Amino acid sequence: MKCAEVRKFIRLYLDSELDAKNSFEVEQHLESCGECAGLFEAEKKFDQRLGRFLRDGLPTRALWEKIEAQIAPSRSGGIKALWPVALAASLIIAAGVVFLARPRTLDLANAVEECHSAYAHQITTPEFSGAVPEKIAQQFGGRLDAQAFAYRSSEPSFTSSGARLCHVEGVPVALILGHCAETPVSMIVFKKSELDHFPQTKRKLESGDPIACSRSGRYEFAARIVDDHVVCVVGDEPRPALEDLLKTVRRADG
Amino acid sequence: MDGDEQRVRFLSLLRPIERDLENYSRRMVFDRHDFEDALQNAVLRAFRAFDRYHDDASFRAWMFKILTNEIFSINRKRGRLAQVEIAVDPEEMEEFAGLEFATDVPISWDSLADALDEEMLAALHSLNDSERAVLLMRGVGDLRYREISECLGIPLGSVMGNLFRARQKMRDAILRARKRSWL
Repeated sequence: MKCAEVRKFIRLYLDSELDAKNSFEVEQHLESCGECAGLFEAEKKFDQRLGRFLRDGLPTRALWEKIEAQIAPSRSGGIKALWPVALAASLIIAAGVVFLARPRTLDLANAVEECHSAYAHQITTPEFSGAVPEKIAQQFGGRLDAQAFAYRSSEPSFTSSGARLCHVEGVPVALILGHCAETPVSMIVFKKSELDHFPQTKRKLESGDPIACSRSGRYEFAARIVDDHVVCVVGDEPRPALEDLLKTVRRADG
Repeated sequence: MDGDEQRVRFLSLLRPIERDLENYSRRMVFDRHDFEDALQNAVLRAFRAFDRYHDDASFRAWMFKILTNEIFSINRKRGRLAQVEIAVDPEEMEEFAGLEFATDVPISWDSLADALDEEMLAALHSLNDSERAVLLMRGVGDLRYREISECLGIPLGSVMGNLFRARQKMRDAILRARKRSWL
């Protein structure tokens, strides 16, 4: 390897991004070329100094203890002394939550919030687009069908980037990942026969309301029955916009 | 895996990278008071989504991705748009694989310490969001180019381009510090 080539590769070499063959050739050259070895050493020192500057700071223990406590709540004896107060407070809070949440939030809306939140924060991404791959269909266990993945909205602002199989409260669902203009919108479809898992929503949809609406955490939610499926849409969009979107949902193969 | 096992496993993966996550968060937020909120929100969000994390993926890269999204979201609320720049075509990768060596990089680093930190901090703040994110993901997070590309949703060529520009600006800062130390 010649000097020009080594200098072209040296940054990749330092970042451990060079393949084994080229790494070996760079190393060979550096052993025999003083000028390139000098430049390499200067760049290595630059990396070390920059790294020291960027990593300068020890973790703040108090902060991490606070964060970790929220993941794994402490079970120390000190808590026991406070249990009557904690119990009373919990009952008051629980009563308040039940009172406030019951008329506004449907069980299905609550259940799908996390699913949509993960998509909106780009934690969840599509597994496929187009036909359902065989290995995914094998996971349906007779409780979902490929048709669930074929629902689309004819609303021009709605675009889909793909889909994935998810489970909501143990129910297998088709999660179709879409956008309305720039806003992420999840379309969640499952078999109507699974609606028993969400009795509030079932009552609402079977009481004559064609569309069941609710808050879903920080998002809006709307659901309706289309053919043999329940179709829900969730997103940070005004409720009327989601209702309009839902009204245009049809099965592409239907 | 029950809830307790899941917590134990999550913490065992989190603890070794807490320092890197904190340093990254401190240097990425627009308002320095936000770094704690960013960390806390990101860790709790990651734990809630932990059942969707797969062993074959890098936990470090997964955490950095969640934290970066949280930081961009917080910065956006502060009025600083997190625009991840896609300025480089992947075909330009070759250009950024090379290196313009700063042949007069100072050798006596310690004598420059104060001026250097000051200049480097100013240079870091002058980077745009994507340059800073890429530089910190590489320099603090120790992520591979491919992982950075996936975290930010930008092509590999853009990762290399942003990294090249960010390093060049940091290198310039070192040269400025050296000039200052001569005055």
